[in-house]
This record gives sequence, structure tokens and C-alpha cells, in this order.
Amino acid sequence: MPISVVFESLSASSPEGVLLDVAAVLILLCAFACLGSKLFDRYVIYYGAQSIVLSFAAAVVALHQGDAGLWVLAGLTFLIKGLGIPYGTRHFLIERFALKRDVSLSTGLSSSLIFGAFLTAFAFLAIRSDTVPDALVAQAVLPISTAVILLGALCMVVRRHTIAQLIGWLIIENGVFLGAIATVATFPFIVEAGVFLDLVAAVLIMIAFVSGLARQLAEASAPELRQLTE
Amino acid sequence: MIALAIIVVLLPLAPALATAVTARARPLGTVAVASGASTLAVAVAIAADVGGGHRVHALSGFLYLDPLSGFFLATIALVVALASLGSAAYVRAQEQRGELRPLQVRLYFIFFAVFAAMMLASFETGNLGLLWVLIEASTLASCVLVGLEGKPVSLEAAWKYIIISSFGVTIALVGTLFLYFAASSLPGSPTEHLTWSYLFTHAHALSAQSLRLAFLLALIGYGTKVGLAPMHTWLPDAHSEAPSPASAMLSAALLNTGMYAIIRFQALTRAQLGTHYAARILLIFGFASVIVGALFIVLRGNYKRLFAYSSVEHMGIIAIALGFGGVLGFYGALLHTLTHAIGKAVLFLTSGDLVLRYRTRLVDEVRGVLSVTPLTGAVLLLGALAIAGSPPFGLFLSEFTIVRAGLQRSSIVLVAGLLVLLGVVFVALVGAAAGMALGGSPDRPTSAPAYAERSGRLLAATPLVAGLGLLLLLGVWIPGGLDQLIMNSIRAIS
Repeated sequence: MPISVVFESLSASSPEGVLLDVAAVLILLCAFACLGSKLFDRYVIYYGAQSIVLSFAAAVVALHQGDAGLWVLAGLTFLIKGLGIPYGTRHFLIERFALKRDVSLSTGLSSSLIFGAFLTAFAFLAIRSDTVPDALVAQAVLPISTAVILLGALCMVVRRHTIAQLIGWLIIENGVFLGAIATVATFPFIVEAGVFLDLVAAVLIMIAFVSGLARQLAEASAPELRQLTE
Repeated sequence: MIALAIIVVLLPLAPALATAVTARARPLGTVAVASGASTLAVAVAIAADVGGGHRVHALSGFLYLDPLSGFFLATIALVVALASLGSAAYVRAQEQRGELRPLQVRLYFIFFAVFAAMMLASFETGNLGLLWVLIEASTLASCVLVGLEGKPVSLEAAWKYIIISSFGVTIALVGTLFLYFAASSLPGSPTEHLTWSYLFTHAHALSAQSLRLAFLLALIGYGTKVGLAPMHTWLPDAHSEAPSPASAMLSAALLNTGMYAIIRFQALTRAQLGTHYAARILLIFGFASVIVGALFIVLRGNYKRLFAYSSVEHMGIIAIALGFGGVLGFYGALLHTLTHAIGKAVLFLTSGDLVLRYRTRLVDEVRGVLSVTPLTGAVLLLGALAIAGSPPFGLFLSEFTIVRAGLQRSSIVLVAGLLVLLGVVFVALVGAAAGMALGGSPDRPTSAPAYAERSGRLLAATPLVAGLGLLLLLGVWIPGGLDQLIMNSIRAIS
């Protein structure tokens, strides 16, 4: 069945559409909260909250479509991203290295928030035009997921700390999945892709753990870290 | 045929299984060499079979082979075979010096095997979702190889590698999603909407807007893997910190796997939007890469980084060739993929010998290789000449073809710019290699020879001599079978 038919009823006015819109807005707020925070355990809390909202959004679409794959994705998102990754990051990285405040920022918090607002506006302008021709999804979801991807990237750019970069990447991934479940929910590889990216996240945490990079990066000043740059 | 396709993915896994029995580098290396050689034989058999234009389509498109997959399969299998020989020698030498612990030897052979298997498998699927999963899996496997030595610098390189590649691969996923979205108005099942051959025959019905975005995102995403500038920043670090045979695999195999995905997306885009859109984007990224590569090659410094930047430059050349398009452009791109893969594998394996011998990675600290170890020195000099595009080696022929394609289908300004950049690279690369190979007598007393045993020296020399020989051969004569394979690959994507 063509996707356009599936989504005819998922427009902004349907109850599911409204729920999706609300979920998307919450996900965007969590991304902003991460961007505006300096404490490591806050990053993890906001990311976990964002993932739980995402799993809720996946469940809404799964209910709407009766799609078993999406139910699996919703469950996995809740368990792995909502609970597993935040727990792993907190237990293996933040507590092990006794990390408190992230000081290796390249811009101030307020300027990165302002820049984040610009990126969000840009996402709305870019997606509002008919870039995606027959998007019949709940109005706000697609531009918001684009904004979340950009905010995650911004997090990775303005923070030098390994854990901040890890969280930035995880936020990007949440943005991708928000867009994916809303626009191309019948995508056959969605569960596999989700599992796979979780695996990547696990490897990232493992490398940070093994290398103790977290501590090095927290203690060293920026120029000393640049051993590898030309 | 289907059996062969499965065997070629399973064969490289043999060393990983062997690690269950032993953690010694010698037997593991022997298994790796045997599995590499047999993988190459099976891959060539597959390439010969599909080379005539024959296609295999099974398991609803999850298994799909056409001449293009055959070409890449054979190329990467060749690199795997060369790198297996190199690994057998290098890891044994490092083990004897106590640089690698048994666990590290085990990890090396396990992840080398998985890395090779994932890359080979990615050429055998027609499903773009599975292709994405396999390419990402190869990144995960190779990341362990980059960080294998466990020093802070190599762990930092591994971190940089995986965080940047994962970002890229997430973007590639968005590109794949948009492609799927572009196909949403087509009849057919959701699985077919991700099957390359189905999409290619129905390309005219894809939504143009979504396809544009899909190509751009896929190019940026997979381009991160390819090392196209400005997404190349992980590449020099990862290549310089990985053990040298693994660097050879990264440079000569992994980058081409990303390029393969881009070629598939480009074919779909051309079929719907015409040649211009994809060509313009590829030319932009291609020239950016050649410029970045050339600038950093001039800097010298670390010779493994030098070779890595040369990979950025060569991937740029391939992207430019794909951008020029036409039969000549694609012929040049594919031939260049093969010749660069061989040449770069040879150079990185040579760098392994140099690391073992001189225990430094700095160009200026390596002197007089030719007098210390004549074979390594000669291969270094000839390999650098070959990779810089000097006749009579294969890269000269492929670069010449690309320049002809540019003259035929693009503006003279672009071609002239490319030639100037190639000239800069030639002078810088050959200059650095000549300094290392000739130079005066070594400043620092050279320690023990790279390989303690005769068998080790033989193992290390085989891929170097074989690779250079092949490059020389391809420079003067292209076998009929290869020519037919490349021509049919071009037909498969146009």
C-alpha cells in the first residue's frame, strides 16, 4: 500500500497526529535542554527522557498502523535508549571518572542556545517549502526532526568532551528515527537500523570506557588534546 | 552461483574461527593467507561469471550480483589477499617483539576477518537497507583495528574515526530513507522499494524532489566513509594509527566500498534526473578532495599520513571521473579504483616494513631505505611513482582515461586544474619517497631487520612484488576479461 494512503489519516487534526506533534515538540525541548546544560548527569537524563518520548511516538504510529516492526522498535527504544544507554553512560563513564561539570566548551552556553534557535528556524524554513512533496504527516514532525538532527550536530561541534560528543550523536540518531517513523514508517529496515545504531552506541561507550579518554579530555586543556591535528 | 556468492563471504572468516584454537600469530597468519588466496580465487570466478553481463537475483533482491558487483568483489578480494599476506608477516613480527599481546593478536585476526567479510558481502546485496547495515558493520569491525595498539593516540584516532563515520553513516541512513520515500508512489512491496534493480528499472517514476535530497545525503553520508573532503578528517588519523596491513585494508578496500554505494545512488539519480545534477555535486566534492589531498601531501611529516592524504586525493579523482561521466569517465573511474587499490595496498604494506625497521613514522627520520633494505626501498620508490601517476604503471593509464573523459565531456578549465593538482602531488609525493629511499646514510642506527626470519621476509615481500607487477601489467595491457567486465559494469548502471 502506498505510504501516502497510509498517512492520509495521520494529518495534524487526527488525535494520533496531535500526539505525534506533541511528542516531537517534547523531543525538541529535550535536545535544547541538553544543549543548554553543563552537567554530565543532566545530559544523560535529558537524553533518556527524549528517548522515552521517542518510544512513545513510535508506539503511537505502531498503534495507528498495526505494524509489528514498529512495536518492536518502540519497545527496544524504551529499553535500550531510554534506560540502557543512560544507565551505561552514567555507570561506566560519568561515575567511574567522577565527572561533574563539562568545561570544555568552545562557545558559551547562551550563544550555543541562540545558534540552536537559528538552526531550528532554518529547519522550519527549509522543510516548509515543498522539499518533501506529498508529506501528509503531522505538520510539525518533519521540520522538528530535522531541527533535532541539527541540534545534535551542534552539540558535537561546540563541545569537545567525549561524552558530550557521544550524547550529541545519540540526539542526532533520535532525530533521524523521529523523522523515519513519521514519514516512512513502512521502511522495511527500520528495526534493523535501530538495533544497529544501538550497537554503534555501545561500541562508542566501550571505547570511551577502555581508553579513559573521558578523564584525559576532562583534565587536559584543549591545545594538549590536539596531538593528532596537523 | 549462489553457493559461490555465499562461500566468498564465509571464506575470509576462517582466521576468526582459528583464533578459537590458538592465539599465535604464525598459524593464524597461515590460515589468513590461505583464506585470502581462496577468497580471491572464488571472487575472480564470480567476476568472470557475471562479467559477460549475466545477473543473479535471488532471495527477493537481498542477493544481487551484476558486473559492477563482480568488479568490486574481485578488486576488494585482491586487496584482502595482499593484506592477508602482509598481516601474516607484520603481526608475527610485532608479536615476536612483544608489541602485541596474545589478546591483541586474536582481536586483530577476528576483526580483520569480519571486516573483510562485511565488505565483500556489501557488494552482493541489491537491497540498499542491507547495504547500509553491512557498510556500517565494516566500520565497527575496522574501528577495533584502528585502536588495536591501545596507545592513547591510537585510541583517540579510533574515537575520531568511529564518531565521524557513525555521523556520516546516520546521514546515509537518512538518504536511504528519502530514497525509499521517493519510491512511495510506485507499485510493489516495501522491500522492492529498497531493491536497487527494481528502483533502477522504475527510476523514471521516482519523485524527483526526494531523489535529489536522497542523492545529496547519501553522497555526504557514504562520502564520509570514502574520505571525500570536507568529511575526510578521520581518515589520516585512522590510517596512520592502524597497524599497516589494516591501513592497507582501510585505504584500498573500505574507501572503495563507500564509493560503490555512491555509484549505485548516482545510477538511480542519473536515470531520473539526467546526468547534470549528480555530476555537478560529484565534481564539487571531487575537486575539494583533490585540493585538500594535494595541500596536505606537500606538508610531509608522517609518511602514513602522507599516503592517507594521497587516498583522499585519489578518491577525489574517482569522484571527478564519475562526475565527468560518459563511457570514458566511468571506465576511468573503475580502472582507477582497481589500480589505486593495488597501488595503495602496496604502499601501506611497505610502510609496515618501514615502521618495523625504523620505528618511526616521520618522513624526515627515514633515510637510505634503498641501501638498508634494497627491496623495500625499491618498492617504496616505484610504488610512490606508480601512485603519483607516472607511466608505465596502471594509474597513469586510468588517470589518462579520466583526463580524456574530461576533455570530451567537460570544460578545459577543470581538466587543466586537475592536471596542475596532479603535478603538485607528483612532485611532493615522489620527492618525499625519494628522500626516504635514497637519502644519505641513516641518521639513527637502524635496529634489527624488520623480519627476523627468512619466511617472514618472504611473506612480506610477496604482496609488494605481486602488487607492483600487477600495476606494471595493467599499465601496458588490460586483459580482455577485465575490459569486458568494466564495459558490462558501465552498461549495468546506465
